[in-house]
Amino acid sequence: MFKKILIANRGEIAVRVIRACRELGIDSVAVYSEADRSSLHVLLASEAYEIGPAPSTESYLCIDKIIKAAKKSGAEAIHPGYGFLSESSEFAQAVVDAGLVFIGATAQNISDMGDKLSARAIMTKAKIPVVPGSKEKLTELADVEVLSKEIGFPIMIKAAAGGGGKGIRLAYEKKELKSAFEAAQSEGQNYFGNSTVFLEKYIQNPKHIEIQVIGDTHGNIVHLFDRECSMQRRHQKIVEEAPSPSIPEKTRKDMCKIAVKAAKTINYVGAGTIEFIYDSVVDEFYFLEMNTRLQVEHPVTEQITGIDLVQEQISIAAGNKLSFGQKDLSISGHAIELRINAEDPETFLPSAGEILTCRIPQGPFVRFDGAIYAGYDVPIYYDPMLAKLIVWGPDRDSCIRRLKRSLAEFSLSGIKTNVVLHKNILEHEKFLDASYTTQFIDKELQTDVDKTFFKYVKDDVFLIAAAITAFQESQNRTKTIKPNKKSSWKVQNQTALM
Amino acid sequence: MHFEASLNKKKYSVHVRESRTHWMVSLERIYKTEREATVKDFKIPKRDFTPSHDGIISFLYKNKSYLIDVTGSDTDYTVYTRGSHRQVKIVNDEKILHENLRGKRSMGGQENLKAGMPGKIVKILVKEGQKIEPGTPLLIIEAMKMENEMKAQEKTKINRIFVKEGENVVSGANLISFKS
Repeated sequence: MFKKILIANRGEIAVRVIRACRELGIDSVAVYSEADRSSLHVLLASEAYEIGPAPSTESYLCIDKIIKAAKKSGAEAIHPGYGFLSESSEFAQAVVDAGLVFIGATAQNISDMGDKLSARAIMTKAKIPVVPGSKEKLTELADVEVLSKEIGFPIMIKAAAGGGGKGIRLAYEKKELKSAFEAAQSEGQNYFGNSTVFLEKYIQNPKHIEIQVIGDTHGNIVHLFDRECSMQRRHQKIVEEAPSPSIPEKTRKDMCKIAVKAAKTINYVGAGTIEFIYDSVVDEFYFLEMNTRLQVEHPVTEQITGIDLVQEQISIAAGNKLSFGQKDLSISGHAIELRINAEDPETFLPSAGEILTCRIPQGPFVRFDGAIYAGYDVPIYYDPMLAKLIVWGPDRDSCIRRLKRSLAEFSLSGIKTNVVLHKNILEHEKFLDASYTTQFIDKELQTDVDKTFFKYVKDDVFLIAAAITAFQESQNRTKTIKPNKKSSWKVQNQTALM
Repeated sequence: MHFEASLNKKKYSVHVRESRTHWMVSLERIYKTEREATVKDFKIPKRDFTPSHDGIISFLYKNKSYLIDVTGSDTDYTVYTRGSHRQVKIVNDEKILHENLRGKRSMGGQENLKAGMPGKIVKILVKEGQKIEPGTPLLIIEAMKMENEMKAQEKTKINRIFVKEGENVVSGANLISFKS
């Protein structure tokens, strides 16, 4: 086993990996940008190395700086987390070339699945169903128009190098194609340095179901069942559950079988996820993409299987065989994760700044994976996800009740969070009966803020608190700066009381 | 002390008085059209509205326990409690008078579009002098890895645009001014 591991990431996932290291008796090395000196991963790691200015292009995305830090610290392996360089085959190769171990898929795995078009081609060849769409890159609007007519609207235009919900645009009719095409190209260029786009048929009423797989370097590959991640805003997941409450048992078995087949096709190593789009009306599913890394939502799988995926990743990278076989795995109960984001629940605009107070939920079967604390200044440079609240229950109903309870215990102030959005979701009938699709937030959620986000606390409470604070503030100012006639009664009154 | 307050497009006339033991707060909703005034009076014992250990206010409101956090200053506050938050604009008589003297109504007057947080202007979608409707996209600002489209709140006209595409802006920077 390794003695020291560098974590090429920040935020809650860096903290997650540090915890796994500590449990395995391995020293952890954090890297951090100038904006992250007081971030939790730096405070918790055994060692920490600064790697440059705040923008991630000058720090967390700099392969040479990270490898240099690994060499300096004497780390033997690098865990990439998710996001940043986790799906860069160039990085995975550079780590190996530097004589270190990359804790994740092989560079070949990453490049096979990283380009969405090559992934589609490989899966089609292996007879795995894919969503109807373009087989090659599209650079001209005219080609997009012709092809979208063939496939039929609505159409998704996606950046080939995209991920995490970036670089995806939807067009319902021909006149929307131009702006969608240009926006997908521009986001692809800005976020991934690649403006290549492709087309896909947009499945109406889609559900997002994914299968967790894990493989070792000895050719063993197993699945750890499914997760449902249909609750999304701006194509980014915000609620994830395991197992999916909406697929028949037979479909679950088929999906798991196909996922293992897909992973075996490319001799997959490490933890990975095969994402499917599921049409619940006709009970059909298509391969969407494979994520060759640990997912944000991996904890729900951990909760229902009892497997620590990060420890297993590390063990596989050290050359060990999987510590369990397919027969050892089964689903126990139900788990749900809520992503707590620093953002306005209504507009989804991000909200950075200092966290003034922070009370983290506790109690039975509650897990809180986060990187926040009171006094922490959330930087503007990175993803707005602050933490994940994960809860387990023996069945879905009790899991939801426990989730509501723990969400009520959570309190955070100073910046805006999406907590009320989660409260709304947890009591919505389409969430409760599991009929929600990826369009839930756009289509189903009440748009009347008085009936959704504003219903939990009466306006009077806010007005009174603001009014008394404003009153106290103006009293302080008039007393110290410019006492005037208006407030003299007050000064006299106070004097009299003394 | 008298204030005018607004919260989620609703306007209120607010009176705050302080005694040795109590806060007296009255809230009167102001409607655009004539309607019977409803004044709500609250007499809040000071021990029910107290700062707790880390500066948060513990507010027992009708025996419900709220931990409240108020940020901001002067006229713009954000109040947080129980996972909810509201922006409250609150202006006292002195300021209302001051604003009136400058020929500008403090409440309800059209305000500039400001940057809610530091970011980069990716694209400007309107021109000076352009007439806009509620929902008209005004500009795209990038912050925390996301491109965000800012839209018009009401029917008005663009007066001035203070920023250029590609420009980095600080929080609170004026982006666009409107003409009624």
